[in-house]
Amino acid sequence: MRDSTVWRFLAGRGAQYLLVLALTVALNFVLPRMMPGSPLVFLAGEDVGFLDAEQRAQLYALYGLDQPQWKQFLTYVGNLARGELGYSFQRGRPIAEIIGERLPWTMLLVGLSLVVATLLGTALGAMAAWRRGSALDLGTLGVAMFFESVPSFWLGMIFIAVFAAGLGWLPIFGAVTAGQTFAGWALLVDRARHLVLPLATLTLITTPGTLLITRYSMLSVLGEQYIATARAKGVHEQAVLRRHAMRNAFLPVATVFMLNLGFVASGATVVETVFSYPGVGRLLYEAVLNRDYPVLQGTFLIITVSVIAANIASDLLYPLIDPRVRRR
Amino acid sequence: MGPAPVPFTPRRHGLGAAGWAGVLLLGVLASAAVLAPLVSPHNPEEIVADPFLTPGRAHLLGTNDIGQDILSELIYGARISLTIGFVAAALAIGIGTTVGIVAGFFGGWAEAVLMRTVDLVLVIPFLPLMILLAAYLGPSYWNIIIVIGVLVWARPARVIRSQVLLVKSLDYVEAARALGGRPVRVMVRHVLPAVLPIALAQFILAASNAILIEASLAFLGLGDPTAKSWGMVLYYAQVRNAFLSGAWVWWVLPPGLLITAATLGFAFTGFALEERLNPRMRGGRGC
Amino acid sequence: MRVLTFILTAVLLILSVSVPSPGQTASLRMAIGRDEGSLNPYTYQTGYPGWNLMTLIYEPLFTPDADNIPQPWLVRRYSVSPDGRTWTLTLHPNIKWHDGRPLTADDVKFTYEYVRRHAHSRWTSQVRLIDSIETAGATTLTIRLTAQSGGFLMQPLAALPILPRHIWEGVAEPRRFNDSIGSGPYRLAEMRDGQFYRLVANDAYFGGRPKVRELVLPIIRDATVTFTALKAGEIDTTVRALSPELVTEFEKAGGLKVVRGAGYASTILQFNLEHPILKDVKLRQAIANAINTRLMVRLLLLGYGVVGSPGYIHPDSPFYNAAVTFTASKSRAVQILNEAGYVDRDRDGIRDTPDGRPLRFNLLTLAGNPIRVRGADLIRTWLRDIGIDARVVAQEDASIIAQVWPDFDVCKGRNFDMAVFGWSAPVMNRATSLRDLFHSDCRFGTINIGGYKSAEVDRLGNELAAAVAPAKQKQVLFEMQKVIAADVPVHVLFYLDGIYAYRPDKHDAWVYQKGQGIVNKLSFIDPPKR
Repeated sequence: MRDSTVWRFLAGRGAQYLLVLALTVALNFVLPRMMPGSPLVFLAGEDVGFLDAEQRAQLYALYGLDQPQWKQFLTYVGNLARGELGYSFQRGRPIAEIIGERLPWTMLLVGLSLVVATLLGTALGAMAAWRRGSALDLGTLGVAMFFESVPSFWLGMIFIAVFAAGLGWLPIFGAVTAGQTFAGWALLVDRARHLVLPLATLTLITTPGTLLITRYSMLSVLGEQYIATARAKGVHEQAVLRRHAMRNAFLPVATVFMLNLGFVASGATVVETVFSYPGVGRLLYEAVLNRDYPVLQGTFLIITVSVIAANIASDLLYPLIDPRVRRR
Repeated sequence: MGPAPVPFTPRRHGLGAAGWAGVLLLGVLASAAVLAPLVSPHNPEEIVADPFLTPGRAHLLGTNDIGQDILSELIYGARISLTIGFVAAALAIGIGTTVGIVAGFFGGWAEAVLMRTVDLVLVIPFLPLMILLAAYLGPSYWNIIIVIGVLVWARPARVIRSQVLLVKSLDYVEAARALGGRPVRVMVRHVLPAVLPIALAQFILAASNAILIEASLAFLGLGDPTAKSWGMVLYYAQVRNAFLSGAWVWWVLPPGLLITAATLGFAFTGFALEERLNPRMRGGRGC
Repeated sequence: MRVLTFILTAVLLILSVSVPSPGQTASLRMAIGRDEGSLNPYTYQTGYPGWNLMTLIYEPLFTPDADNIPQPWLVRRYSVSPDGRTWTLTLHPNIKWHDGRPLTADDVKFTYEYVRRHAHSRWTSQVRLIDSIETAGATTLTIRLTAQSGGFLMQPLAALPILPRHIWEGVAEPRRFNDSIGSGPYRLAEMRDGQFYRLVANDAYFGGRPKVRELVLPIIRDATVTFTALKAGEIDTTVRALSPELVTEFEKAGGLKVVRGAGYASTILQFNLEHPILKDVKLRQAIANAINTRLMVRLLLLGYGVVGSPGYIHPDSPFYNAAVTFTASKSRAVQILNEAGYVDRDRDGIRDTPDGRPLRFNLLTLAGNPIRVRGADLIRTWLRDIGIDARVVAQEDASIIAQVWPDFDVCKGRNFDMAVFGWSAPVMNRATSLRDLFHSDCRFGTINIGGYKSAEVDRLGNELAAAVAPAKQKQVLFEMQKVIAADVPVHVLFYLDGIYAYRPDKHDAWVYQKGQGIVNKLSFIDPPKR
C-alpha cells in the first residue's frame, strides 16, 4: 500500500468524521430544546409561578433565551469555537468545571470496568472456544448469558441488599465517605471500598459481550484452513492457539474495545444512579430531567468527541493490528 | 491451557442444546402470554385483596402496593414484555436491514450518507432522545417500542452491510448484475436471501436488548407506568421499597428472573441460529 | 506571658472546633435527594428541603415557629402602624456575618432592594408592595408599604434571607454567584457536586450554640437506597418523608425512631375549567362523587394520611372550615349524570353529552410519583364504573408541566383535561393561599392552573389579600371554602402525613413543624433570646 492511498483514505474518513461532528454539534443544540417543558423552574426556583411577565423576561434575557433560536445557535457555536461551554442553568457553575469534577469518577468506574471486562472476557472467551462443547464451554456460556440478560439496576440493588445492607461488608452509596477527610492509604481504601459494588455490577454485565465475541471469532478462526494446516503439521496445540488463533481472533475484540472506549465518557447512567456515584451518566440524566440545556450540550459534546476520537484511533490502529488490511 | 482440547466434532444438525433450551424458554413464556386469561388466577388490573400481602394460598406471590395479585401481573406481563421485544426488534431489524443492504449494495455516495447516519445514531445519547420521542409520540408502551426500535437499528445495519459486501462479490450476484438485472430486483432476489440468516440472528439479539432497555427505562421512571410489563412490576416493587422488607423475595426476584429468562431465551436462540446460519461459523471445516 | 496567652487561645480554639460541648450532637448525617447549588438564596433549588437548609446559613428576619406563626429572629423588637402600612424593626445588636463583619439594617435594606432588581421566583413578587425602606442607625429600619397586606409578615419577612451587602453589592448575575457567607448558625464548610455538603456550627452565632456541631448532607438520588442506608446506620436521618409501607418495618427496627404528623402537601384531581365539557359543574360533582377518597387513603397511604377537604384547607389548619363537608356516593354520581342528560346515546358503554360528544378524557399524572400514578389508575377504574372513559397518561415532570402549566405561567393558558396533581406544604401556609389557587386574574391567581373563574371568589380573594387581622382572614377563608366546595374546581384527594425516621442516639432534639416536618431550623437551634 503506497503512502498516498493511506493519506487519501484518512483524509476521506477525516472529512466524514468532521461532518458527523458538525451534525452532532447542531443536534446537541436542537435536541434539548425540542424536549417539551421549560427550564424556567430550574432557573428561578420552585415558586416560579409567582413571577410576573417583566421578571420572566429579565430571567430569559439573562440566559439569552429571549433571543430567536438561530441567534442562540450562533452564540452557542461561537462560544464553542472559543472553547466556552457556558454555565449550568441549575447549578450556576461553569459546565467545564462540573464535567471536570464528574469525568474522573466516570473514568475510574466505567474505564476500569471496560479494562477488566475486556481482559476477563477475552481470556474466558478464548478458553471456552478452545474447549468448544465441553462442560467448561457450556458452563462459561451459561453464566455469561445469564449476566448478559440481567437488568443492571436489579443486579445492583441485589448487591446492595446482600453485600452492603445485609452483610455490611461494603458501603451502600457514594464514591467517598461523605464529609470525612482521608489521606494516603486510608483515602485509597475508602475509594476502593466504594468502587467495589458498582464496578462489580458494571463488569459483570459487560464482560459477557466481550466473552461472546472472543469465543465467536476464535471459533471462526479455528475453522480456517491455515489453523488446520498448522495442526496437521503438528505444531504444538498451545503454540497454535497463541500464534495463530489468538492473534487473529483479537481483531473484533479490539474493534469492540475501541468502540466502547469512546463511550466511557458517557458514563453508566443506571449503575451510577443506583449507587449514587457522581459520574457523567447521572449528570446527564439529571440534566435531562431538569432541562439544563448547557449541561446537556456540554456532556453531549464530550461524548461525541470521545466517540469520534475512538473511531479515528481505531481506523489508524486497524492496519497495524490486522495483517490482511495491510496486504490489501 | 491444560490438557488437550476437546476435538472438533462435525456440526450437528439443528440448533444444539443451547438453541433448543432457548426455544423452550421462549415457548413457555409465549404460551403464558397467549394463555394468560386461562392460567392466571386473577385479573391483574383488579384489586383483589389488601396491599402488601405476603404469599399465601390465595396469592402465591402475594399482592402489590394496591392489592393486585403479583402472579397474575407477571403472567399478563409476559404479553407486554414479549410484545415489546418482538415488535421493537422487528422495527429495528427492518430499518437496519434496509439501510445495510442499500449501503452495502450501492456503495459510494449512498453508503457514505447512510453509514455516517449510523455513526450519528450510535453517538447520540439515548436518554434525551427517548424523552423527546416519547413526548412527541405521546406516552404509551407502543411508543416505547417505536423509540427502542428507532434507536437500536444502527448496530444491525453495520453488521448487515458487511455481510452484503461479502455477498456482493459472490459469483451469482455479480453475474446477475452484469446481466443487467435491475438493482431492486437483484437486491431482493439475491442479496436479501443471503443476509436473512444474519438478520434473523440480529433480530433475536435486538429483541433481548429491547426487553432490557424497557426495564431500565422503567427503573429510571421513564417507562409507561400504566402498562404492566415485567419492568414496570419491578419498578413498583422498587419504588415501594420491596428491597427493604422480605417482599423482595416474591416481588423483586420473580420479575427480574423473568426478564432474564426471556432475554436468555432470545439470546440462546439467537446465538445458536447465528452459529448455524453464518457460513464462516460452520465449524469443523478442513478437519 | 504573651506566648502563654497565645497557646491558651490556640488550645481553646482547637477545643471549640473539634470537641462538641456536652449535650451537643457531634456529627449528624442527613441524606438529601439532589444538589442544592451553593445553598445560597439564589442557587438553592427546592422549596423543601432546599429553603430549609439554606436558611441555616442565610437567615430571614423572622422564622416560623412550630405552629407556622412567624416569630422575630434577627429582629428583637418590631411594631406595625395602625393602618398596617408601616413596619418598624429593630435588629439584635451583635449579629455577625461568617467573615466577622457585623450584620446591620443596611444589609437588610440592601437585600430587599437587591431582590427587587434581580428576579427571584420566591421573593421578587413579595417585595412588590414595598414603597420605601429607611434605616436609622445600625439596627433600626422602617419599611413602608403601598397597601396593607396580610401576608407581609409570612413573606417576605419570614422567608427572605438577608444577604451581606459587602459581598453581594457588585454581583450582577446572582445565579452564577456561588458565595456561601451568611449569618446563620451554620456555615458551609465543604461542597461536592453530586456527592455531599458539609455544614459546621458557627461558633460566633449571636443566638447561642447550635444543637449539632457538624451536619453532613450526602446526596442519594434513589429513595430505596436512602432508606436502606438509614436502616443500616450509614446515615442518621433523611429529609425524605418515610414511605407508608416502611412505617411498621422501621418502628420495629432497633435504633430508629419514627415520628408522624399532619402533612400540608396536597394531592388533588385538577380539572381544566376551560374544557368545553368539564366546565360543567354538574359533571365535576359527579366525578368527585365517584372517587372513593377514603379507600385511597387506606390503600395508597395505608392509612397514614387524611381524606381531602372539599375546600382545599387541611383539617389541622387554623383556617379549616369544619362546616364544609363532602361524602362521596357512587349512586349520587350516577343520579347527577342522568339528571344532567349525560347518558350513553350510542351504546358504546361511555356516556355522552346531550349533543352527542363522548365523556372521554385524558388524565395526566407525574410518572415519577408512584402514589399519584396508582391514584390516577384507581380514578380511571371508578370513572369507568359510572360510564366515563379516562385514559391515564403518565409522563416525567417537565413534560406534564408543559401541558398543565405551560412555562409555569397561568396567563399562558393550559392544555389538558384532568390531572392528578398536588401542591407542596407552604402553599397551605400562605395567608393568601386560596387567592393564589383560585383568583381568576392570572396575576393574582398565580397557581390557578385550572383557569377557574368565579366573581365571588375573586371578591373574597381581594378581601383576603388586604386582611391583616387573623380573625378577619379566617372569616374570609371560611367563606371561600364554601364556594370552592360547591364549584369543585379541584377535587382534593388526600394529604399524606409527614412521617420521618431518624436515629435518636445521634440526635433527638427534633421539632415537628406543623404540616411541614422535622427538617427546619428549630431542630438545629433554639430561637434567640430577645
